[in-house]
Amino acid sequence: MSTPVSTAAASAGALVDEAEHGSVDHLAGSRHDRRGRTRVDPIYYWFLIPTLALFTLTITVPAVLGIFYSFTNFIGFGDWQFTGFTNYIAVFSDPAILASYGFTFGFAIVTVLLVNVIAFLLAVGLTSRIKLKTPLRAVFVIPMVISGIVIAYVFNFLFSNSLPAFGAAAGIPWLSESILANPDLAWVSIVIVTAWQSIPATLLIYIAGLLSIPGEVYEAADIDGAGAARRLWSVTLPLVAGYVVINIIIGFKNYLNVYEVIVGLTNGGPGTATRSIAMTIFTGFTGGDYAYQMANATIFFIIAVAISVLQLRISRGRAAN
Amino acid sequence: MPRTAITRPAPARGRTRARAALAAAAAVATALALAGCGSAGGGTSDITFHMSKPEAIPYFRALVEEFNDQQDDVRVTLDTASNLSAGFLRGNPPDVGLLNYNYEMARFMERGALSDLSDMPEADRIRPEVQDLVDQYATYPGRTSVLPYSVAAASVIYNVEIFEEHGIEVPTTWDELIAVCDELEAAGVTPIYSTFKDPWTLGQGLFDYSVGGSIDVPGFLEQMEEIGTEVGPDSDVSFQKDILEPSEQMRQLAEYSNDDAASRGYGDGNVAFANGEGAMYMQGPWALGEIAKTNPDLELATFPLPSSDDPDDLKVRVNLDLALWIPEASTEKEAAREFVSYLMQQDVMDEYNAEFLGFGTTTDAAPVTDERIVPMQEYYDAGAFYQGLSRSIPLTIPIDNYIQTMATGGDIPSTLATIDADWARLALRG
Repeated sequence: MSTPVSTAAASAGALVDEAEHGSVDHLAGSRHDRRGRTRVDPIYYWFLIPTLALFTLTITVPAVLGIFYSFTNFIGFGDWQFTGFTNYIAVFSDPAILASYGFTFGFAIVTVLLVNVIAFLLAVGLTSRIKLKTPLRAVFVIPMVISGIVIAYVFNFLFSNSLPAFGAAAGIPWLSESILANPDLAWVSIVIVTAWQSIPATLLIYIAGLLSIPGEVYEAADIDGAGAARRLWSVTLPLVAGYVVINIIIGFKNYLNVYEVIVGLTNGGPGTATRSIAMTIFTGFTGGDYAYQMANATIFFIIAVAISVLQLRISRGRAAN
Repeated sequence: MPRTAITRPAPARGRTRARAALAAAAAVATALALAGCGSAGGGTSDITFHMSKPEAIPYFRALVEEFNDQQDDVRVTLDTASNLSAGFLRGNPPDVGLLNYNYEMARFMERGALSDLSDMPEADRIRPEVQDLVDQYATYPGRTSVLPYSVAAASVIYNVEIFEEHGIEVPTTWDELIAVCDELEAAGVTPIYSTFKDPWTLGQGLFDYSVGGSIDVPGFLEQMEEIGTEVGPDSDVSFQKDILEPSEQMRQLAEYSNDDAASRGYGDGNVAFANGEGAMYMQGPWALGEIAKTNPDLELATFPLPSSDDPDDLKVRVNLDLALWIPEASTEKEAAREFVSYLMQQDVMDEYNAEFLGFGTTTDAAPVTDERIVPMQEYYDAGAFYQGLSRSIPLTIPIDNYIQTMATGGDIPSTLATIDADWARLALRG
């Protein structure tokens, strides 16, 4: 799959860039030569080479090849010819692909909002002075260690069997039919499962953010007579705003790549109601439509890069403040 | 045969490097092989045999062992797992392939990746109507690239006990079929057990049966192919025009399904049908074995779905469950052909078909004996069969999902128009 790879690559680039700005490179390993110039021990370059070589071989080269083939009619093997921008023009007029973009972006926006609201509230709860804080934190993080496809199949069973059985027993008509089979509601199930799976990671970042707020500001707020809601709104939120931005952007980018949860839940159905971008791209491999879906993947890659650049801008802007 | 959603044919990446590495590996291997030959003085050829039909793996493993034991010239290694697309891409496909022949395989054939077998005596034994099934997907000029090995015939599976209990005769016209459904429903029996949750079950079942019963599928596809980019509301042939009626028939039948069909999958269906939760089931012979796992004593039989008012106009759906081929890239074609001849011996083929409920592909094949599929033999012998439309169109078009939309209440004309638009767009790029 080139899409998740390309977005991963884009965000990896962004992170590397950020680290440089945080600038740790002057700390270690540099010596001064006779003329007083900083001379870096070549060993540090050697550290980079294995990763660089692997990265080039397994990510850069395939990505470049993929982009190259998007201008051809290559089907995965055999002869091919250049077709110029035909594939790109066809992508923009393909309702199936446009629908998958619409679905994926809508899904990502809803999910990112839901995940961040829930994770933030959970984090506030889990950093306050409650009992059983540590075991509770462990419990909330468990979904993170289960593979997405497993989660999806478990929920598939729940949505297809348990929930309808409950709905029938409780006399709730809309619940007695599987929401996976309802073209208007199937997306809700994907949002729920994705949120369930990705809240822990978001939660951890929020906990870290909340713990970094010094106690004094709350004491000061207390002295000024601020209540709990006021403290949350005027003290906590502004102080973790950076974490909110990071969570929203990283989360959004991840949700754009949604794939295995959908495969396990609806496989794009009912009908074509829940086909994500990554799923349409993947049909290029299974359906012998390689070059065409590479064009789709290239467009998607450009979008991912744009989001990464945006992320960098925002986080740099905050660093400057 | 549930189609696995997560097979991953490797994309074309690092081709040059991979090829260079392979060439190097091949050179080393050749050198070693030559050295081996020099010392041993024998001429054993090693070939790989790809066969990945899960339930048949033990069967073919035994067969390969037997072949290896009885002669010393060819050593066959059974390969049940490697990725075919990747193999063809790297230029080292298996030497012999025996698998389901479908649109995906046809791509390889169309680009000349499979060698010509027309000079093998075995090729002459294949029934011409069966060989035609191969050509319906794609052809390569002047070649017989694929030898059909076993045909799976599918039609309506019915629960004999339920039919007898309600005094129901097997319907031979559309009106009779509807009458049967009404009668069963009135008696409180679910007429058709459906599993809409797995779209492929709808595609190869209700949809293909409804279409295949009333439309000349290869003729339709041929015309569609010709019209190509012009396919649309005004073209002579189109989904929205020709497939409209069968689709409406499908929808009418789909409404006789179990209430929870939308949340039932293939596995659920087999268990439920085995437990007598429905009178009819639109599945192929692959489901019979699964049903027998739950209820080995259930008496089942089959009949072709009637979609017209002519009782003589009945056909069964077929697919090439297994077909043999030898890639052009094989370096051991002679040895591969020897093994193909071994597999194509009539008694070997008959034995396979008897065990896996397949129909023979050769003129001298034994008839089927399993009670459940015997009713289909007369149609098969008469050539009254068709390949499912849902399995005969380019894989890029998510036909099963569209069918699911139509069967579960979506707008039929507009969905068919979408398929036409997809078709025209694909033709433009092709």
